[in-house]
This record gives sequence, C-alpha cells and structure tokens, in this order.
Amino acid sequence: MPILALEDVTKVYEGKVAHLAINQLSFEVEKGEFLAIMGPSGSGKTTLLNIISTIDRPTSGCIMLNGFNPLELANNDLSLFRRRQLGFVFQDFNLLPALTVEENMVLPLTLDGQSVDVMKQRVREIAERLDLLPILEKRPSEISGGQAQRTAIGRALIHKPSIILADEPTGNLDSKAARDVLEILSQVNKESQTTIIMVTHDPIAASYCDRVLFIKDGEYFNEIYKDDRRQTFFQRILNVLSLLGGNVNDLSTIRLS
Amino acid sequence: MTFRQFAYHNVIRNSRVYAAFFMASIFSVMVFFVYSMLMFHPNIEDQFLRDIAFGGMLIAEIILIIFTLFFLFYSMSAFLQARSHEFGILLNLGMEKQQLNRLIFLETMILGFISITVGIFFGYSFSKFFFMVIRELFLLDSLPLYVSWKPFALTILVFLSLFIIISISSVVFIRKKEIIHLLKGFGKHNEQSFKKWKALLGFFLLFAAYSLVIFSVFHMNVFLSFLIVILAFVGTYFFYTDSILYLLHIVRKRKSLYWHSYRLIAFAEGSIKIKENARMFFVVTIVSTIAFLSVGIVTSFTSFTAQYRELNPVSIFYSSDWDNPFEDEHIMKLSQELQNEGLSYELVKFNVKKQTSSNSHEQVNLIKESEVNSLAVALKIPLIDLREGEALLVPNTQEDFGSIRQEEEQTVLEESSVPIRIQGVYNHLIFPSLAIEKRAIIINDDDFNLITEPLLGFGIKESSTTFYAFHVPEWLRTKDVGTDLDKIMNETLGASGINPNSFYFVNPGLNFSIIRATFSLLLFTGLLVAAVLLLAAGSFVYFKLYTDLERDKKQYDVLRRMGVTEQELVKIVNGQLIPQFFLPWGLAMVHSTFSFLFLQAFWVDLAAVSIAMEMLLVLLAFTVIQVSYFYLIRWRYIAHIQD
Repeated sequence: MPILALEDVTKVYEGKVAHLAINQLSFEVEKGEFLAIMGPSGSGKTTLLNIISTIDRPTSGCIMLNGFNPLELANNDLSLFRRRQLGFVFQDFNLLPALTVEENMVLPLTLDGQSVDVMKQRVREIAERLDLLPILEKRPSEISGGQAQRTAIGRALIHKPSIILADEPTGNLDSKAARDVLEILSQVNKESQTTIIMVTHDPIAASYCDRVLFIKDGEYFNEIYKDDRRQTFFQRILNVLSLLGGNVNDLSTIRLS
Repeated sequence: MTFRQFAYHNVIRNSRVYAAFFMASIFSVMVFFVYSMLMFHPNIEDQFLRDIAFGGMLIAEIILIIFTLFFLFYSMSAFLQARSHEFGILLNLGMEKQQLNRLIFLETMILGFISITVGIFFGYSFSKFFFMVIRELFLLDSLPLYVSWKPFALTILVFLSLFIIISISSVVFIRKKEIIHLLKGFGKHNEQSFKKWKALLGFFLLFAAYSLVIFSVFHMNVFLSFLIVILAFVGTYFFYTDSILYLLHIVRKRKSLYWHSYRLIAFAEGSIKIKENARMFFVVTIVSTIAFLSVGIVTSFTSFTAQYRELNPVSIFYSSDWDNPFEDEHIMKLSQELQNEGLSYELVKFNVKKQTSSNSHEQVNLIKESEVNSLAVALKIPLIDLREGEALLVPNTQEDFGSIRQEEEQTVLEESSVPIRIQGVYNHLIFPSLAIEKRAIIINDDDFNLITEPLLGFGIKESSTTFYAFHVPEWLRTKDVGTDLDKIMNETLGASGINPNSFYFVNPGLNFSIIRATFSLLLFTGLLVAAVLLLAAGSFVYFKLYTDLERDKKQYDVLRRMGVTEQELVKIVNGQLIPQFFLPWGLAMVHSTFSFLFLQAFWVDLAAVSIAMEMLLVLLAFTVIQVSYFYLIRWRYIAHIQD
C-alpha cells in the first residue's frame, strides 16, 4: 500500500488573475521510498509540498496520507496529524533562534507531551547519529550552515515520522555540507525505512534518491528510477532537465568527475 | 520625486508602523499644551492658586518633557534599527551619508511637525473641558478659555527642540555603522549575559526594601523612606537586567518544567523579549509606580473629605469671650461676606455659662438644649430631648466616643447648686475639635435658667461666653469668608496653641480648600502623566511587535507545519506578550502595594484615615485597563501572524 497517494490534485489560486499552480497531478509514493521532485521555477513544487504538508488544500482531487485523508480531518486533528506523522526540513533551516540545538530538536516531542526521559534519550541517539553532540548547548546563530541543517534533520527525525518533507535542503549549503546532509538523508531512509520526499533544484541532490519526479507548469512531465551507479543516474537526470527546458539557471553546472 | 517628497512618502506610507508612535507623541504634546494653557492662565486671581497652578504645572511639564525625550529617543532608535536594511540599500545605491542624514532629519521633522500640529489642535480643543474640571476642583467661579501666544510658543519651542535633538542623535546612531552591517541588520539574540551576583543583588535589594516597609509599619520613621526608595529603585533595575533572566535560567535547567509542550518556546522567546526590553521595563515600572501612587493618594482624599466634614460639622465657628470688643463687628462682617458670596447660611447663637463641677472640681461650659437643637435641625442630626436634671457631654474629638465612659455620672454645678445627671456623650460632633477648651455639657433649658450665680471669683458677665455657629450648606465655597480673621488666628496662635485673643475663629472650608487644591493638582498631574506613559509604553510594545512581525510570522509558519494547533499558538503568543504587558505591571503593583502600606502607616499617624479601600480600587481600575489593552494588542497580533 502506498504511503502517499495523490489523485488528480489541482490547485488554483484565486485572485485578480487566477493562476493554475497544479493541474491534475497524480502519483504514489511507496513506504520507505526516497523521492525527489524536480522542476523549473514556478512549476508548482512548493505548492505541491504545501498540499502534501496539509497546510494547503487542493482545489480539487484527492490525497491519502498514511491511510488518512487530511481533507476530512478537523483543523485540530490535522495539527496533531502533522505533529506525529510528518517531519520537515527547510532550505533556510528555520531553527528557532531562541532555542539551543538540543531544544530545537526536542521541540516536536515537547509539543506532543512526551516525558523528559524519553526526550533526553531520543536527543542523545539522534545527536550521536548526526554528529551534533559537541554543539548541543549552542544556539543556531553560533553554528555553521551544515550543522544547522543537521539540527533541522534531527528535529524532523526525532518523533519518528512516517514521512519527511524536505524543501531544497541543500540550497543554502556549501558542497561538502550538502553532501553530508544528503548522505545522512539517504542513510536514514535506508536504515529506518523512513519515506522522504525532497523538492530540489540540484541534480546532485536528486541523484541520491530512488526516483525523481519531474513536473512542469504544475503537470506531470516525466519520472526516472535510479540505477546501479549514481553517476549515470545523474547524467540521466541532466538529460531530462535539458529536455524540460526550464530556465538555464535552473541547470546546475556542476558535473561529477 | 524630489528628496523631500521621498522623505514625506517614507513617513506617510509607513503610517501603519508609525500609528502607535504618533498616538503617543500627539497625546504627549496635547497634555503638555493643556498644562501650559493652565500655567499661563490670566484669570486666576487668587495668589495662592496661581502659585499652585504655575508651580505644579511647571513640575508636571518638566516630568513630561524628560519622559517624552526618553520615549522619543528610544522609539526613534528602534525605528531606525528596524529600517537599517532599507538604509543599507540606499547607501548601496550610492546615496551619500550626508544625504542619508538629511533624509533621517527630514523624516523626524515631518513626524515632529505632524505631532505638534495635531497635538496642539487637540490640546486647544480640550482646554475648555480641562478648565471646567479644574474649575470644579478649585471651586473657582469661572475659568474661561483664552487666546494667548504664550502656551503655543512654549509648546512649539519645547517639542521642536525635542525633535531636533532626537533627529540629530539618531543620525549619529546610523552614521557609525558600515553598509554591510546595515544590510545584514544588527546582531540579535546574544542572550544569557546576566551576572549571577547582580541577579542576587537585585533580589536582595527588593527584599530589603520590602522588609523595611513592613518594619516601618510598626516603627514609623520618615527617614527610612529615602532608603526604601533608593533600594527599590536600584533593585528594580537589577531585577530586569539580571535577576529575571537568572530565574528563567534556573527554570530552564529543570527540564521537567521547561520541556513541556508550548512552554519550551514560550520561555525561550519570553526571555529574549525581556532581555531586549529590560531598560524599558525598568522605566515603565518606576513611572507606573509613581503614577499609581499619585492617583491612589488623591483617591484616598475622597475618604478624607467625608471624614473632614464629620470632624468639622459647623461651617464657620466663632466663639467670643466676655471681654471681646470686636464681637458684633466680626459677626456682622462674616454675615456680610457670606451674603456677598451669595451663600445661604443659618446662624445659631449659643449663650454659654461657666460653672464648676462638684465631681472633678473643674470648670465646665454649659450649653442650652434648645440652642443645640436648633443647630441640630440645621445640620440634620438627631435632636435631643433632656428632662430636668439630665445632661449630655459634648464630644470634642472623634476619639471621645470611645474613650468617655457611657455610664451615668451624678454631679452638682456648685455655684448655683444645680444637680445634674450626665447620661453619656451626645453621639455627634457639633463643634470644631479645638474650639472649646473645657468640658462642655448640654442641659435642659429649665436647668440652664436656674444657673444664676457667677463662677467662683468672677462677675456674672465674666462667667459666660458666646458661640456663633454658621451653618452653610455649601461649606466648600466658604474659602473667601473671614480670611482676615483666619490670618489673625494663624499669626497669634503660632506653634504654642494657646489663644491670646478674646475670640476664636475657625473656617474649615478655607483650610479644606488649601489641602484640596494641592491634592487635586497631584491627581491631575498624576493621571495625565500616567495616561501618557501608558500610551507610550503600549505604543512601544506595539511597535516592537510590528517590527518583529516578519520574523515571527515565519516562525509561526514553521510551528504550524510542525503541528502546533491554534490553541497552542495562542498560548505561545500569550507567553510572549504577557511578560511584556504584565511584568512591569506586576512589579509596579507590588511596589505600589508596599508604598501604600507605608503611606497607610504614615497616614494613620497623621489623620486617622484608612486608604486601603481606595488603593484597592485604583489598583483594580489600572489592572482592568491593562488587561483590555493586552487583549486588544493580542487580537491584532494574532490576526497579523495568521494571514
């Protein structure tokens, strides 16, 4: 059974000029899959992610998330659903500046009213795994971008969500930090069978995934599955991107040697 | 678009940001203007009132200026800090620093110009109303609106220089920064910089101040008050800069308390807000305390009025010994003055005889029942009905009701051999407390007529006195009656308390009007300064919220994605707003409560007046205002972060 299923999802933004952001998009994501969603600027990636995050409602169409239809839940239940089932990683980390690294990570657990012992234990596990132990007491302003994004991943993982939604997680990082983050994500995906859906511009980031879904102008364009070697997968992604014909700037000039 | 237009647009199109700031500074100008209208009023003839009006308003205006200067400076630097990114862009586009300075100067002057114009407009519109209130308080016949250049000139001069000072100093603030710093904004959230010893010192000082207050409730010492004020002042400062952060630090170390649903965010955000605003909290606390106090003291004055009336039931009292040559002249003059003032009055004349009581062998004054009754009719107090041989004591002060035993006492008026049975104390005060030196006894008219023999060793004429009691229903308006007699009394009575004159005169209305005028002035100054302060503090909170709105919006968006429900969101918002609204508030309340305790102890010694009830009402009223203000701001804030 797929963990996420979209069926004919359409989103129209009303306004002076009505804007069709997503048009009859359908796809499924299996449990434990690592999916990348790629597309040029304005192709509706962020809207799609917002709809999957349940903070935005599709104009028409149906969405099933881990057996629930979020459209049928009341606002409060929806919040509780997000709290338990979803984890988020953002491009600009969005750590709360007032909290330390440790506190940022336990935030989802405190919201859910877990006991302090459970929280401490989970933080320790996650921090060890993400190599954050030395900086647990630091504040977001005192750490590097890579550390901040690892903290954000820790925050997304700590409550063992069924799906992690990542919005350009490597967009603000240098290449080394980006690679660290991607490796952590794929490791998490493999070890804990956590489903990850990642929106990205970066073909290198996409090459870490099991499958890449391309959308253009809010519609399904193409999808490709990974093969044995990441380099060839990367080349194939580039090929599709050039077909996609988005803005030249969307295409990364980085090539793996 | 010229340079001036650019500056103008910057102000006008940001009017939403500036709204609260405008409101506070307009109000401040308005209050200042109204004060100066009173200060320069040409029609206050009374020299005394004139002094009070001028002096009091001068002090009020100085306080207002100092406060407004502080408020403007603080808001301006906050405004500029919030706009530093914008300035960075302008400089990056090639604007000269010189031009930027001019821009800021122009903008500030536009703000100042609008505030002054609108403030004076409203001030002038409300002057008449203000004068009406003042007229009632000071019991003046008329206090008309007048036109004079003086209050306008003073207000414009003062506020124009204020705004010029502010614009120059804010320009200095921006000039020191590099473009890159402006573009990046200022380094925020470097918290946890409290010192433990300062934190403990803050607690200790506050504790010491409060203990001293408790101590002085039992052992009053006025000099302690200075010590208490200094301790509380310094203690409050350290409380905000260090102690409260230390407290939060302790709470945050206790994970079971701290790591609890929304508390995590609320505490962390709250401590940042406290740290950013510590100095403002300090000022707000101190000024609110002063404002509460002045309002509280004046409110307690209402209970003092009632009591004063009870202690001095007769509006004008005049007693005359047998050898007083001015008796008729004085009474004529008093009647005439009352008529001139257009006041209706009733005059009751008491012929008082002196005898010696056989019980105490002391001289007593004897008053006729019918005369007391005619005064009682005027005062609307119960009449007395004495049979032959019965008598009642006249109480001198309020304490007499309790201390004089209510048992019957048999005595004989020795000279005339009239036996009387004193049945207790008449349970109303009728004469001013210090008017009669000896015991006064009311007796039946028939008994009174039996007293024919003079006091031992005196002639028949010498053993009698006359009391004149004027009952004036509008006793508060008698302040211009008998001023020359009052002067004589004041000059001759001196500190000794012995009356060398052959007459005694007291006009409670006159004495009261002096106390009242002073108190009323305190009230007005206190109330208006408190109002300015409340608005300013509120506008500051509003502004801070507004500038942080973008950041907060983003944060709440993250939280909503992470599954924070609407109710929890409101709780988190509460956690941020409540300290900002109620922390200075709460401490000011505690300060005021202790100050009231001190004042109460002081008052008990002075006037036997209990002010607890009034204080409670004042504190309650302020709390209601503050709570509604909080809900208003929260409502706007939540509406903003949710869209």
